[in-house]
Amino acid sequence: MLEKQLTGHWVDRSICAWFWDQILAQGDSLKLVPVIASPTHYLFQVVREGITFLACTQVEMPPLMAIEVVTMVADVLTDYLDGLNEDLIKDNFVIVYELLDEMIDNGFPLTTEPNILREMIAPPNIVSKVLSVVTGNSSNMSNTLPGATASCVPWRKTDLKHASNEVYVDLVEEMDATINRDGNLVKCEIYGEVQVNSHLSGLPDLTLSFANPSILNDVRFHPCVRIRPWESSQILSFVPPDGLFKLVNYRVKKIKNIPIYVKPQLTSDSGTCRISVLVGIRNDPGKSIDLITVQFRLPPCVTSSDLSSNHGSVNILADKTCLWSIGRIPNDKAPSMSGTLVLETGMERLHVFPTFQVGFKIMGIALSGLKIDKLDLKNLPSRPYKGFRALTRGGEYQVRS
Amino acid sequence: MRNELYVPKEQRLRTATVWPLMVTGRKIIVGMLLKDNSPGVVGAAAAAFASICPNNLSLIAKNYKRLCEILPDVEEWGQIVLSGVLLRYVIAKHGLVKESIMLVNNDLVKHDSEKEDMEPQIATREIRYGINGDIHTEILDIVSKSYLEGPDKYLSQLSHINQDSLVLDDSCITSAKSNDDVKILLQCTLPLLWSYNSAVALAAAGVHWIMAPKEDIYKIVKPLLFLLRSSSSSKYVILCNIQVFSKAMPSLFAPYFEDFFVSFSDSYQIKTLKLEILSSIATYSSIPSILLEFQDYIRDPDRRFAADTVAAIGLCAQRLPDVANTCLEGLLVLALSESSNGDAASLDEEETVLVRAIKSIKSIIKQDPPSHEKVIVHLVKSLDSIRAPTARAMVIWMMGEYSNIGFLMSKMIPTLFNYLAWRFTSEAVETKLQIINACVKGLLRAEVEDMNVQRTIGYVLELAKCDLSYDIRDRARVLKNSILNCMGLQNFEDVKNQAEFRNATNIKCIFGGETKAPIEPFSYRFYLPGSLSQIVLHAAPGYEPLPRPCSLTGDEIGCSTIDVQERRSTGVGSADSEPNESDDSDAISGSLDEENTSDYSSQGSVTGSSNGGGSHNSASSIDGNEEAVPLIHLADGSLASTNKFEESGENNASSLTDFGELMSKRALESWLNENPGSSQSSSDLGHLQRSLARISIKDIGHLVKPKTYTLLDPAIGNGLSVDYIFSSEVSSISPRLVCLQISFSNYSTDLMSSILLSEEESNKGPDSLDQTGSGSDSSLVSHDEIPTLVPMEEVVSLQPGQTTKRILQVHFKHHLLPLKLVLFCNDRKQPVKLRPDIGYFIKPLPMDTEVFSEKESQLPGMFEYIKRCTFTDHIGQPNERDGQSLIKDKFLTICEKLSLKMLSNANLYLVSVDMPVAAKLDDLSGLCLRLSGEILSNSVPCLITLTLTGSCSEPLEVSVKINCEETVFALNLLNRIVNFLAEPTL
Repeated sequence: MLEKQLTGHWVDRSICAWFWDQILAQGDSLKLVPVIASPTHYLFQVVREGITFLACTQVEMPPLMAIEVVTMVADVLTDYLDGLNEDLIKDNFVIVYELLDEMIDNGFPLTTEPNILREMIAPPNIVSKVLSVVTGNSSNMSNTLPGATASCVPWRKTDLKHASNEVYVDLVEEMDATINRDGNLVKCEIYGEVQVNSHLSGLPDLTLSFANPSILNDVRFHPCVRIRPWESSQILSFVPPDGLFKLVNYRVKKIKNIPIYVKPQLTSDSGTCRISVLVGIRNDPGKSIDLITVQFRLPPCVTSSDLSSNHGSVNILADKTCLWSIGRIPNDKAPSMSGTLVLETGMERLHVFPTFQVGFKIMGIALSGLKIDKLDLKNLPSRPYKGFRALTRGGEYQVRS
Repeated sequence: MRNELYVPKEQRLRTATVWPLMVTGRKIIVGMLLKDNSPGVVGAAAAAFASICPNNLSLIAKNYKRLCEILPDVEEWGQIVLSGVLLRYVIAKHGLVKESIMLVNNDLVKHDSEKEDMEPQIATREIRYGINGDIHTEILDIVSKSYLEGPDKYLSQLSHINQDSLVLDDSCITSAKSNDDVKILLQCTLPLLWSYNSAVALAAAGVHWIMAPKEDIYKIVKPLLFLLRSSSSSKYVILCNIQVFSKAMPSLFAPYFEDFFVSFSDSYQIKTLKLEILSSIATYSSIPSILLEFQDYIRDPDRRFAADTVAAIGLCAQRLPDVANTCLEGLLVLALSESSNGDAASLDEEETVLVRAIKSIKSIIKQDPPSHEKVIVHLVKSLDSIRAPTARAMVIWMMGEYSNIGFLMSKMIPTLFNYLAWRFTSEAVETKLQIINACVKGLLRAEVEDMNVQRTIGYVLELAKCDLSYDIRDRARVLKNSILNCMGLQNFEDVKNQAEFRNATNIKCIFGGETKAPIEPFSYRFYLPGSLSQIVLHAAPGYEPLPRPCSLTGDEIGCSTIDVQERRSTGVGSADSEPNESDDSDAISGSLDEENTSDYSSQGSVTGSSNGGGSHNSASSIDGNEEAVPLIHLADGSLASTNKFEESGENNASSLTDFGELMSKRALESWLNENPGSSQSSSDLGHLQRSLARISIKDIGHLVKPKTYTLLDPAIGNGLSVDYIFSSEVSSISPRLVCLQISFSNYSTDLMSSILLSEEESNKGPDSLDQTGSGSDSSLVSHDEIPTLVPMEEVVSLQPGQTTKRILQVHFKHHLLPLKLVLFCNDRKQPVKLRPDIGYFIKPLPMDTEVFSEKESQLPGMFEYIKRCTFTDHIGQPNERDGQSLIKDKFLTICEKLSLKMLSNANLYLVSVDMPVAAKLDDLSGLCLRLSGEILSNSVPCLITLTLTGSCSEPLEVSVKINCEETVFALNLLNRIVNFLAEPTL
């Protein structure tokens, strides 16, 4: 347990004990409740990779603010430590505390922009670790204040210098789809991000335009994006922070074509259930579909199962989750999985049905059809290198049986 | 240069932490920071503002426009706070927007003419309720009132019909089209809706929800829905808020129903929220696909969720009667299949689905029973396969209730009763009870006499009389006897006189009456969008509803009066904004008047509340006409408290919950202060709290005798004696002045003339009498230079033996040091010293217990001082007052004594007296007095709590606690209180 008191008002540690008592008493269902009212405090909870982040307050405040801050702490820690688990946090106690110090001051968020945090606190690496062991100086705080705080663009250093001027724009999309029991597409939409990785010197001014901005249903911007040009002519004009950041989140609704079909069939009779799942390509996106997985949770009334597939591997995990990793679909045959499930004694037929979650990854294409028209760079000392990529992943892609 | 801007940002956080700094000092700093031009500083300043002086909206006034313009550039966390602050400011300054949904049924707006005739108003109000096109006016009405007053207050008011404390007149309403301030706020929060940070977007959505015109609210919908794709924690919070929005305005979200389809990865809480939203936004066009989706959910492995889905189907069918048949069919199929496959493994979870399904069917049928006869028949037919007792009981209830609904049913009834009689012994208790009920109903509603049925029913009742469960035995006996009695016959079998039987009115009114669904009182609680309270559904400590519309008037804004004038001059040019402006000026003068009168009336509460009478027991019989006697604040407060104690007031439920909230807060405090590890202690403490009775001491006002001080002894003053007492009145000239009542007595044998008190170095002679009249006027104008002494009216002559009184208004430079004055008498100078009494540097601040404890919780730590002393007044003078005190309770006497002493020595308001009940007869420990006051000079509230330990016959130990922001003042006052409590009364 790691604790940081952020206000003068001391919060007793026993609140954590209370929380754990509740978790033990109520089981995991409490883990999913983000706002908990305890007898003394209000707790905000975010669970990331098995680590619970708790924030607590006694007085009224916007709950989303607490949740956002905690989420951001989790994000930054993941970023700094290259992942998030107990051991990593234990190894980097100092950095974690330093980060918390910078991010939150007196209970109010202070510096949360990751790129500026990087300037103040160096991310851990082997060299710094060795150095700290040798010199005994365990701090890796930089002594200077980040320059960005004084500039009119608080997310960027004023005097950046890079040997190579390069900027990469990635379209990363996630496809959410729901297919109901009859095999009809209920809902299909794409949630996408424009990720920009910029290593540009000086104070560049970038303009990004899409070939078909009208398909975007909703958008959400990084603070650096100027709202007016977007409202008037749907152009993204911005001064980028240094490094990797999410420029825009967008959503494209009412997509008609889904790349993969999954056809589950469950028939049950006299205490056993036959299951067969077929997977295939429905609309060929033109690029290869990788890392296909099908995942589902066996209903609680299933006592044992025997599943096999003609392609890929089938694993049954501890919490009755069945994971079928297919990888790439072969040309000659359609992958299928089949087997039998044995139901609880006394139960004749299965009357609850699992939902199948499908994961996949398609490189080189944005399934929403969004296309980047051009990227203009102004105010740069030398000609930069520009790169574009696209990627589509399966998001909440689920097939009900 | 580089660090220059960073420093203020840090500074705001420091300002919040610098406790010892005077409040005013901090306000100034915040004001300065708000003026800054850099977005980084402004965001920080807003946060400081919200934590230091959230109610001091006048600070915003000067910078409002600039703050709005800078809002999009402020860092995200500042945006959240700042948009909330700006919203509060606009409401306090201009009131609500007339096109917004907050005023959709204009109920809040009562014109003067309407106030007079309330009757037609109630009528029109009822008509307006209901679904007005696409907006639930009723809900919106509650929502807007809750936002303005806080739901606890609002709900407690529901019992007093039409007693709205919140009556807005036209001046409290503005228009988004003509008011620039509103327009600019809406404009500047619009880009925030697209923010990256979900908290920012929700805060902006909240502003639009409250301020935007109805037709523009749709702008918040898409951004809010897009936020749902962020993390699951924030998804939950956003859905909670959308739920409220969609309840009030289903049309807003109706086109986007697909976004609320449940995903596999959602948590149970999110799933139920989505179901609730879906069932409230369903329309005839969207219901087919929603029902299709629901069908999938029913098969979900999570049976709780499936059960909720079934309930949601029922809700949809009730909302949209046209689809009721479809829903009913689906539910019936579900119920039948569930009942058939439940045979193998009787899982509890399966049962819940079945029970919910039948419950939904029941509620749908209730809407229009005759048309659904077949469904009832179907259910009854499958009764044999339904296993869950609750489900069976409900089906049997339906059978009894609708036994004569149609031809089919009445035909089936005999067989059914036979079946029930046969199965009776093997049923569960709740089913048995329903069987008995159904039997009686069947008997009452049977259209043709059927000996067979009657015999069967008699058999069932006999069976029930021998049942193991006493509930069933009792019910059977009661029913049988009442049936027999009203028939006047001994034997049940030979019922001859059906007509007489039917007249059995008492049975009929139990079973025969048309069952109507009880109209549930609307008990949703609404809190401001995006607030913590809305998520936990109770007012979190520190929650504040929106400020009263137009509560911020010109004089509070202070220097911005010039601004008003400027605007007025422009307003002359543009005619449309003119009425607004004139209202402003009215409000200014009006509020000034109000302030004065309210001061006076609260004054009366302490000095003149002698007519309270009555013991505290009879207080509850005086029902809610508290307003009729505005003079008696003390009695008023006690009324509320006795209500609470005796739980007999009309707003019973609400007061109970209030009490509960109070309790939890106390428990919370105790948890914090003491060793928090042991939850035992906190619960113990809670128990102790529960055994406190709140009593009222009402007739105390006339007993208050302020202490008399001597200014001049007759021995020194040649027979002139001057005494003074501190009056509890508040000066009308300046709040810094303390009023004294001075009495001059002539004990000599000669006549005295021209007696006057004045300042020491004043060279005013006794002849400068004529200035007194104008003096008070001039002091009004120059606010800063308060005279040490408002010149008093001269005592022209004083006969021997005569006493005359004068009011003197004094400004003490220091609350401990004496003031040197000169007394003129017969043209002779006499230096005198006027000693201040810190107890009168405050004025009573009437409040109720909840407010008190809330304020107390806002002033922890550094602002809390405790001192102990012993109180001995109660011993020593036992039975002096001729037997009357013998009858009186000892506890009461002590309470009275203690409060009398407090009130006689300091100008305070008695909030409440808590007395221990359960403890030993003699033990007074736990007796608690709460008093409140407000420092005259700067209106900082000052809360005093006295807690007693010890027993009646011994000296009591009193612990005095003061919560006040003014550290020095509070400490001095504390010393003073401890001193006078400890010194015995003569």
